[in-house]
Amino acid sequence: MSIDEYNGCAIVAMVGKDCVALATDTRFGVQRSTITTDFQRVFQMGPRLFVAMSGLVTDAYTVSARLKYRLNLYELRENRPVSPSVFVSMVSNLLYERRFGPYFSTPVIAGLDPTSGKPFIAGFDCIGDPSIGSDFITDGTAGEQLMGMCETFWRPDLNK
Amino acid sequence: MSRRYDSRTTMFSPEGRLYQVEYAMEAIGNAGTCLGILASDGIVLACEKRITNKLLDEIFETEKLYRLSADMVCSVAGITSDANILVNELRHIAQRYQLQYQEPMPCEQLVSQLCDIKQTYTQFGGKRPFGVSLLYAGWDPHYGLQLYQSDPSGNFSGWKATCIGANNAQAMSTLESEFKEGITLEDAVPLAIKIMHKIMDQNKLTAEKLELATVTRSDDKTKMTIIPREKLEKLISEREKLAAAEKQK
Repeated sequence: MSIDEYNGCAIVAMVGKDCVALATDTRFGVQRSTITTDFQRVFQMGPRLFVAMSGLVTDAYTVSARLKYRLNLYELRENRPVSPSVFVSMVSNLLYERRFGPYFSTPVIAGLDPTSGKPFIAGFDCIGDPSIGSDFITDGTAGEQLMGMCETFWRPDLNK
Repeated sequence: MSRRYDSRTTMFSPEGRLYQVEYAMEAIGNAGTCLGILASDGIVLACEKRITNKLLDEIFETEKLYRLSADMVCSVAGITSDANILVNELRHIAQRYQLQYQEPMPCEQLVSQLCDIKQTYTQFGGKRPFGVSLLYAGWDPHYGLQLYQSDPSGNFSGWKATCIGANNAQAMSTLESEFKEGITLEDAVPLAIKIMHKIMDQNKLTAEKLELATVTRSDDKTKMTIIPREKLEKLISEREKLAAAEKQK
């Protein structure tokens, strides 16, 4: 079992009409054992900005804590909420700093731009390569299965 | 007064004084006033703005008030560029604590850690102290709403009401007589305006020269509200009416 599959997870983010949706599973397991079924993988980074972390849970929590650190300083200095595209750069930078000893966790971002309200989703690999999605982003151990479901059911301009 | 001892920050004078630290406090004594009052339901910070040239572009929200973290704000009096360095450091200290303990930093610890840094400039290195005094207003779950003051020597203390900057002695004596235990924010804001009006007597107090913020708790969140100019103008004109009425008596 590879390190990405040690704790297991499934994440999907979708763009709708003036809205985004972000869903994760809530199973926390250690290889084949299930420890809890109410585990939180989504972290709120702003009033309309969420990040879901996949992969190894300890790295997921560490990355989101370090991200919040940088985000808080950004918002204090700039006196405005961060926009999703800038946040993507922040995430990418944080992950690439560990290029040769990476965090075994990949974030999926879903949010609305603070000024325009435009929906925004993005996914990354564990060293920070961003993929900004126009329809959906899937991640985790069930990533391929979710991709198949999304390809089948997603249509543009789905409302809430 | 041995002048030989005042150019080195890290040397005591024969009378046991650190001249550079005292000179730094002199610099602050000429800077724009900052007043803080700890009310039972909030904290008021009132600041005199010295830079009011109409050609200035208003790109910053505030000149003297800074947010340090989700639960703390500060106001500065003294050399603005020195203040920027300290505010930046305060923000980093607070975030580092939050990262390590996943909990907001208690107010006194934040003040204390910055003061430890300020103190090193009075003991090692041969660099001059920071020419800034700060008023910190914040909340933590251990002691609730708190008001602190720190100066270039690295000393800090907690206050119910205090003042730094120009005419602070006059403001402090007024506060000593007018501050009542258990004062609410509703009374503390006009009191702050009253004192600012009194000490800025020579240069007339106008809404452009004043920055006023309140720090309160609601819905489990700490809020810093900067009072908008229209409301300030109203509060100042109310104060002026009362002052005129008092004079007539």
